[in-house]
Amino acid sequence: MNRFVIADPKLCIGCYTCEVGCVEVHVKVGLVGIPRLTVTHTVAGTMPMQCRHCDDAPCEQVCPVKAITFEDRSIQLNESVCIGCKMCALACPFGVITPYGALPQGETSMTYGGFLQPTPAPVTETPVHALLAWTVGQRTVAVKCDLCHFLPEGPECIRVCPTNALRLVDEETVITSNAERRAASVEAIATGDGLALHHPGL
Amino acid sequence: MADVMTICPYCGTGCSMSLSVTDNKIIDINGDPTHPVSEGELCLKGMYGFKHVADPGRLTTPLMRRGDSFVAVDWDTALDAIADQLGVIKKESGPDAFAVFSSARATNEENYVAQKFARAVLGTNSVDHCARLCHAPTTVGLTMTLGDGAMTNSIPELGDVSDLIFIIGSNTAECHPLIAKHVLKAKARGAKLIVADPRMTDMANKADLWLRIPLGHDIPLINAMLHVIIKEGLQNTDFIRDHSNGFDDLARAVEDYSPERVSQMTGVPATDIAAAGRAFATAKAAATLYAMGVTQFSCGTGNVVSIANLAVVTGQIGRPGAGVCPLRGQSNVQGACDLGALPNVYPGGRPITSEPDRLRFEEAWGVALSPKVGVKITEIPAAILAGKVRAIIVDGENPMMSDPNTQHFAHALEKLDLLVVIDLFMTETARRAHIVLPAGGWGEKDGTFTNTERRVQRVRPAVLAPGEAKADWWIFKALAERMGYQGMAYDRPKDIWDEVRRMAPTAYAGMTYERLETTHGLCSPCPAEDHPGTPVLHAGGLFHTPSGKAALKPVLFHPISVPEEERKAFDAPIIGHIAERPDNEYPFMLTTGRRVYHYHTGTMTRRAPLLEQIGPEELIEINPADANALFVRDRQYIKINTRRGSVIAKAWVTERVPPGVVFSTFHFWEASSNEETNADNLDPLSGIPEYKVSAAQVTKSSAADAQASVAAKREYYRQDVETAAIVEMRAHAAASA
Repeated sequence: MNRFVIADPKLCIGCYTCEVGCVEVHVKVGLVGIPRLTVTHTVAGTMPMQCRHCDDAPCEQVCPVKAITFEDRSIQLNESVCIGCKMCALACPFGVITPYGALPQGETSMTYGGFLQPTPAPVTETPVHALLAWTVGQRTVAVKCDLCHFLPEGPECIRVCPTNALRLVDEETVITSNAERRAASVEAIATGDGLALHHPGL
Repeated sequence: MADVMTICPYCGTGCSMSLSVTDNKIIDINGDPTHPVSEGELCLKGMYGFKHVADPGRLTTPLMRRGDSFVAVDWDTALDAIADQLGVIKKESGPDAFAVFSSARATNEENYVAQKFARAVLGTNSVDHCARLCHAPTTVGLTMTLGDGAMTNSIPELGDVSDLIFIIGSNTAECHPLIAKHVLKAKARGAKLIVADPRMTDMANKADLWLRIPLGHDIPLINAMLHVIIKEGLQNTDFIRDHSNGFDDLARAVEDYSPERVSQMTGVPATDIAAAGRAFATAKAAATLYAMGVTQFSCGTGNVVSIANLAVVTGQIGRPGAGVCPLRGQSNVQGACDLGALPNVYPGGRPITSEPDRLRFEEAWGVALSPKVGVKITEIPAAILAGKVRAIIVDGENPMMSDPNTQHFAHALEKLDLLVVIDLFMTETARRAHIVLPAGGWGEKDGTFTNTERRVQRVRPAVLAPGEAKADWWIFKALAERMGYQGMAYDRPKDIWDEVRRMAPTAYAGMTYERLETTHGLCSPCPAEDHPGTPVLHAGGLFHTPSGKAALKPVLFHPISVPEEERKAFDAPIIGHIAERPDNEYPFMLTTGRRVYHYHTGTMTRRAPLLEQIGPEELIEINPADANALFVRDRQYIKINTRRGSVIAKAWVTERVPPGVVFSTFHFWEASSNEETNADNLDPLSGIPEYKVSAAQVTKSSAADAQASVAAKREYYRQDVETAAIVEMRAHAAASA
C-alpha cells in the first residue's frame, strides 16, 4: 500500500505553515519552489490538500514520458523528465498536481525580489481554465507531493504543523486503525449501544 | 553556530523560540518545547518571518531630507539638528507642540524611555502608540469595570481548565494561531466552543455554536445572553452581591433585549442566543476571548464593557480558566500600555492627573511634569491641522498605512515642522519624514516583552544591528542629553528595567533580570522577589477599582441611534451604534483585518520571501451571491470605493463573509484598506476609530485598471524614495569604509 499525508480538518486552523515549510525544504534541494499542498477553505472546514499517492494512480498511467513512477511505496514525479503536458493534472481526481512555471535550479520562484526589483510582468486576466495559465519565458512542469523523500525525518509539513493536524498514513496506521474500529464496534454492540460506532481516525 | 533563546516579534502570544546564528546571521528558527504557551510550536510568521533582519533594505545610517530625496549624515549631525529644532519649537509653541508615537514592537525598556523622553524632556503627555488603534477600548473598558486593562488569565488555562470558550470578534486561528491551539486542546478535552463572528473564520467553523451576528452587533447579543441568564435565574447571585456594584441597573437595561427582539435585529436565531447564554452561565469555567472584532468600533468600549458585564454577572472571572481574555496583537503592546506609552497614565498605569503619583515621578525624574492629559494618536491629524502639534517623533510605527483615512493623515503630515522617524526600514511614513534614524530591531534588541497574558519575558540579541543602527533607548537618551536632560544615564537595558521596577513596584518589583533569565517569564503583577507572579487576576473577586468591586454598567445599542427615552432611563449608560451605515450610494459594508501570513503593514513579513510567496497580494473576500450579481469570478479584480479612497485587488469569492460585506487587510501598500477606513467616528471613551465598518461601493474591475492603480499607489507611497535612500546609504557606507 502506498503511503500518504493527510490532515484532520478538526485540528487544521488554516495557518499555511505547512505550505511554507514545504516550499522551504524543496527549494533547499533544488526542486521547484511552490507548495506541494494547498490549504483549502470550504464551508464545511479547512485543510491542506495534497497527493493521495493512489496505488492505481491515474497520473502515473497517463504520463506519456514516464516522469511519474511508483517508487518506495509512493508516487514520485521527476521534474526534470516532465514535459509539462498537464495530462496528470487533468487526470488527478483530487486536484493536487499543479502545473507550475519552473525557474532554473537554485533560483527561487517568488514574486518578492527585494527593493530594486523592476516593475513586474503585466498581469493577465484569468485564463479560460486555470490549468492553461502560463507565464512568458518559463517552462511549466507538474509539481506534486513527494513525501519529502529526501528528508530522513519524513514530510516537513507534519513536522512544522503547529496543531499537529497532519500525519502520515501507511499500512501500519491502517492496520492499527482498523483494529481499533473493530474493537469499538464489538464494544458498542456488546454494551447495547447499537451501531453508534466510534471512529478513531482512519 | 550559537543558539539564542528569545521571544517571537509578531503577535501578542509571546512564543519562545531558539535562533540559530552563524556569522552574525539568523539562519534558522525552532520552537521551544519547554515553553508553557507555545509548547515547542511556532506559526509560519514565527518560523519563517525573520529574513527582514538581514534585509538589504535595512537603514544603516541617519538620513536627512534634502528636497525630494535624503542624504546620509552622521549621528551627531542628525541628533543636533533634531535637538535644535525641538528647542526652537518648544520656545515658540510650548511643550504640547510635540507628540511621540512609541512602539508596541519596542521593548518595555524602550517604551519606558520613550514616554520618559516625552514627559520629562519634551514636557508633554502626548505620547501614545498603536494600542490606540487596537485595544484602547480594552484599557479603558476593563479598567472602568474590573480595574485592570489586561487579560485576566494565562493562556495555558484555556487548554487545561476552561470548559467553555466564548470567542467573540477574534479570528484566533489566523491572528493568534498558538492560542487557537489551546482552544483546540480544550475542545479535545470536551470543552464547548461558542463563536460570535460575522465572518466564517476557522474558529467559527470549529464552533459547537456559531452566532453569525452582523458587523458591530456585539452589545445586543451579549445583552440578550444576559437577559436569558437573569430571566432564568442563572446569574451568580453570591458573586454579584459580594463583588459587584450596579447589577440592578444592568438587569433593567437588558430587559429590553429579549432573544426574540435581538434575533430580529441580528438574524441570529433566538434559540441560539438563549443556548449561548445558558451554556456560558452554567459552565464550570468559561473564558471569553476577544480582539479587534470587538474593539475597533465607535462603541468599542461599550462592547468591552458588555463582555465584562457577562463575566461578572455569571461569576466567570477570578478563577483558573474563567475570565476575560483580550488577545493583544503585537509582541509588546501590553508592555507599551503598562509602561505608560499612553497620554493619560504613567508607568504602572497610574493616572497623570493624580497628584501624589505626579509628585513621585517628578521627584524621581528631577523635573516638573505636566498634569495635562496628552493628545491621542487618533486626534493627532486634527491637532496638526489646527496648528497645535508641530513636531512628531515616530518610533517604530508606520502610521501612513496603519492609521485610518490615509489621505487625511498624509495631508496632516505635510503640515509638520519636524517629523522624525526611528525605524528599521524606509517605511511609507519614513519617506515623508524630515529626519530618519536607523534603529536596531528584533534579533538585535536586549530587554523584555510583555505578552497578552501579562507574561514578562526576556528578549535577547542574536546578531549585531547593521551599519550605524542604534537601540531605540540609546537614541532617546542621546537626544535627551543634547536637550540638557541628565536623568537617562543608562548603560544597558537592565539599568532601565531596574528603574522601572522602582517606579512601578506593585507590577514589577519582583521581576529581576536574574529571575526572568531562569524562568519562562513572570506574569505581572509581581510585587516582590519571592512573589510567584499572577497568572489569574481578580482571584477571590478582588477588583482594583476604587470600591474594590466590579462596576457593572448598562450598555445600550441600536444600529442607527439609541432612542432618547431609553438613554434617559439610566444614569450614564454607554451607548453604541454603527457610525457609517450603508446607503443607496455606498450599499456594501467594508470590514478590515489581518491574514495569517502577513503582519500589519508588512514592513517585516513582506521582506520574508517565503511569506510573501504564500501571500503575494491582497485578496478581498466577497460573498458568492454578491460576486454573482456583479459578474465577478474568483480571483478577478474588484474595486472597493468608500468616501475616503479606493483600492483595486483580486476577489476571493467565499462564504467567509456574509452577503453585503467585503473584507480586506492593510498588509499591502498596493491595496491598503486604510485608504478607505474612517478616521472621524471615534469611540468617545477610548478614541479608537471604527475600522470595522465603512460604507462602500463594490464594482468589477480589470487587470489593466489594477495595474494603473498599483502604479499610482507606487507614486503615492513614494516607493522610489526608498530605493534612492538605499543607494545613498550604500554610497555613504562605501565612503566611510
